Amino acid sequence: MRLVFVVNDAAVEIEAVAEDMTLVDLLRDLLGLTGTKRGCESRTCGACSVLVDGRLTRACRTTAQDVESRHVTTIEGLRGPDGDLSDLQNAMLDHGAVQCGYCTPAMVVAAEALLRRNPSPTRAEIRSAINGILCRCTGYQQIVDAIEATSRGRRAARSSGETASTAHSGSSQ
Amino acid sequence: MTKLKYVGSSNLRNVDGIEKVTGQTRYVGDMTVPHMFVAKVLRSPVPHALLTELDATPALEIPGVRAVVTAADFVDQGNYGWPIKDAYILAHRKVRFVGEPIAVVAADNAAAAQAGVDAIVVRYDTLPVVSDPLRALEADASLIPEVSPTGRGNLCNTHLVRNGDPDPLLAAAPALFEGTYDLPHQEHAYLETEGALAIPEPDGGVTVYVNVQSPHINRNNAAMVLGLPVESVRIIQPPVGGAFGGKDDVLYQTTAQVAKLALLTGRPVRLVLSRTESMAASYKRQAMRIHLKLGAESDGTLRAARADLIVDSGAFASTTPLSSWRATMHAAGGYRYDAVQVDMRTVYTNNGYSGAFRGFGNTQATAAIELAIDELAANLGRDPLDFRLQNCLRRGDLTMTGAPLGSTIGLADCLEWVRNRSEWTSKRATYDAQPADAERRYGIGVACYFHGIGLGGEGVDFATATLRVEADHSLTLTSGLTDFGQGSRTIFTLVAAEMLGVTMERIRVLRPDTYTAPDSGPTVASRASVVGGNAVRVATSKIAAMLDMSAADLLGCEPEQLVRDGEQYVGPDEEPATFEEVVDHARELGFQLSAQGRWQVPEIEWDFERGTGVPYFGYVFGAQVAEVEVSRRTGRTRVVKMWAAHDGGRILHPTGALGQMYGGIAQGLGYALMENFRFENGIPQALDFDRYRIPRANDMPEIEGTYIETHLPEGPYGAKNLAEPVMIGAAPAIGNAFAHATGVRIRGFPLPRVAQRK
Ligand code: FES
Ligand code: FES
Repeated sequence: MRLVFVVNDAAVEIEAVAEDMTLVDLLRDLLGLTGTKRGCESRTCGACSVLVDGRLTRACRTTAQDVESRHVTTIEGLRGPDGDLSDLQNAMLDHGAVQCGYCTPAMVVAAEALLRRNPSPTRAEIRSAINGILCRCTGYQQIVDAIEATSRGRRAARSSGETASTAHSGSSQ
Repeated sequence: MTKLKYVGSSNLRNVDGIEKVTGQTRYVGDMTVPHMFVAKVLRSPVPHALLTELDATPALEIPGVRAVVTAADFVDQGNYGWPIKDAYILAHRKVRFVGEPIAVVAADNAAAAQAGVDAIVVRYDTLPVVSDPLRALEADASLIPEVSPTGRGNLCNTHLVRNGDPDPLLAAAPALFEGTYDLPHQEHAYLETEGALAIPEPDGGVTVYVNVQSPHINRNNAAMVLGLPVESVRIIQPPVGGAFGGKDDVLYQTTAQVAKLALLTGRPVRLVLSRTESMAASYKRQAMRIHLKLGAESDGTLRAARADLIVDSGAFASTTPLSSWRATMHAAGGYRYDAVQVDMRTVYTNNGYSGAFRGFGNTQATAAIELAIDELAANLGRDPLDFRLQNCLRRGDLTMTGAPLGSTIGLADCLEWVRNRSEWTSKRATYDAQPADAERRYGIGVACYFHGIGLGGEGVDFATATLRVEADHSLTLTSGLTDFGQGSRTIFTLVAAEMLGVTMERIRVLRPDTYTAPDSGPTVASRASVVGGNAVRVATSKIAAMLDMSAADLLGCEPEQLVRDGEQYVGPDEEPATFEEVVDHARELGFQLSAQGRWQVPEIEWDFERGTGVPYFGYVFGAQVAEVEVSRRTGRTRVVKMWAAHDGGRILHPTGALGQMYGGIAQGLGYALMENFRFENGIPQALDFDRYRIPRANDMPEIEGTYIETHLPEGPYGAKNLAEPVMIGAAPAIGNAFAHATGVRIRGFPLPRVAQRK
């Protein structure tokens, strides 16, 4: 099939792609966006998580056909406003939420999806939002800490009228 | 003492964090090179069989297939293994576990490679499957190795401890406890599976990018089976997506396989294992059956212990002879005894194969002794935490092997900390009084541990590092010990920056590459902080001395008169000199500004024949408390909260150290509640994350953790190690909390699903 969709705010057109090619293969092998990882074949690890029209989606259970004319956001598209690290990414580093880093892109994507939907999540809500993504290194606690701190920071910025360095979808192509 | 800038600062970020948090990090599976072939593996579907026929040539008929390799393509049929040379790069003459690789096909694409694998003709003449370690020791059991290393069938190796004679003390002890514990296999489940990319070099050599823990051992091994000089094999370690001890032997196989295919085809070849392959083909934590006999006085004083361990090594020895030694050295726990004897036997079976995994044998040993100590305390009507405080190792005590403890002993402090923070005493009382028929029952339990530092008697324990100042005044650091997510690159950087008085940003740690990094032996046993950090310290002190001389010369004073202001050197008279000026002047004085540092742990001595001696030069300690909720209806156990204290010496990087603790506890919690890599007559029962569950965010409780800081004189800035031992207290603490909640004493993991009446 011929596929037209938007990846990280840039229109992408692929002349010939198998309809059932998974989005994770498409992103990694055809578009070179290797920040989206593969961790299993049973659709259980969540390492391949991306946003499709803003919704958290496992790219290994999504096909080329499914993303026709949709907006896909990957870790490569989540940066701060000036291309710097987002507040969330900074918080991940400051809280020690990154060890081997293999789950990290998916964690950042999932956290961003959560915070856009629910700006003031409880720790239990944060845990549930990342429950679909396995991490073998961190025990999750510092990831939860980082997301909680980001939400606090964004709320404070919003109430004082400043613009937080919230991540936005930007082109990475 | 001058105030330290980086050591102990909680504002440190991991040095490679930015690339990871933006998704830029390239793991081996993210690497492609032009004209690259991909490889697929034929693996044994049966646990034990003779390969009566193996014809790989039909694979070459498949369009797109470029080459195929079997054992016959390697020197000495690809026989390798350390410390026992009993394994093969690809199965030779027989297969010994489900998932053992037999042949590897390189092709233009994955589909062609798989078609090639399917075309290989192979006939399995099945042999009796040996799945029960005790049965494996019987005289008529089917022999698994080609040659028995002990001359006694499937017995792989033995270790022992002889510290006095416990038998008369046990016979006379007013309180005796005896129990047998079954600790299961555990899968590492690093999120990144094993992978390697081999690139042939024009000079007949080969470069391999591979997510292996120990690049130099891998290189030596690959050179041996390929018949190449070691300099012709270059191993580069890209960022590694988790290892926990699990990324060595299995990757020695993968490395040699793709290297051979690259040499045969003259083209790059990449092999990345699927999750199912990874779970079948990689080694596991050893299953152990541990029999314990403990004797105490009526007042609770522990007197004697006897332990008997059967360790399931599976098809190959791998590093099990070493981790079983560590299990033997820790089998009676961190307590004072008058006499202890331990006997350990490692056995070959067809249950996959086992090797290194965080805790290196002490995870299983501590699980058994801590469940047993708890039951003994209960039998004596004692509070289990008090009982531990009464008997735990303190300054001046001898360990269970009869050896001195070393200078820093924080065990009692760790126990006191978890007792206070968890509100132990009041919770114990509250839960003791809860109604037996409540739908949700609660319990609180404790476990503590000791853990020898470094390799101990397991091998020569040294590391090497290099440091040089570049033309642009930046610094380049190399170490043979590697980072696979545990943060050693950050630790090395901060040690060098602290000693030189420069910013961490000035220092770059090169990725491990056998062309540039010095050999440091295996990256196991949490050696990185102490042994690796010390090697960095030695290299840095040499550079620091040269720069001090240069600065003194420049500022017209003695080196001792220098003080530092930020990166600047300040003398008594002249204007301060910048770091750059001091470096440039040092070069004018003829200094190379390049240094190597090597550090070896203090000499220890263990008599393997007699089971006596000094196994380690020092120890780390810790204690953990778990609070659990058990549902009567579902039988499920949920961990509500955990508290953990670890004596890790001086903590260099507190945020990173806490991350190690939380991650270790998660692996221990998984071991207690859900992880159980089971073999049914040699057939693995769970080869994906649906059936082999590891903890998710909702499974994890909030953890309150701390480090009780002591000062290890031998450690860099007083640091001890921590990445491994922090996991070992969690499982038994949860098991003991479960017993408190339900009244059911468990004799192994994972916990049963059905809670019973108290
Ligand atoms: S790769 Fe594991 S869920 Fe998609
Ligand atoms: S940081 Fe390693 S898997 Fe999450």
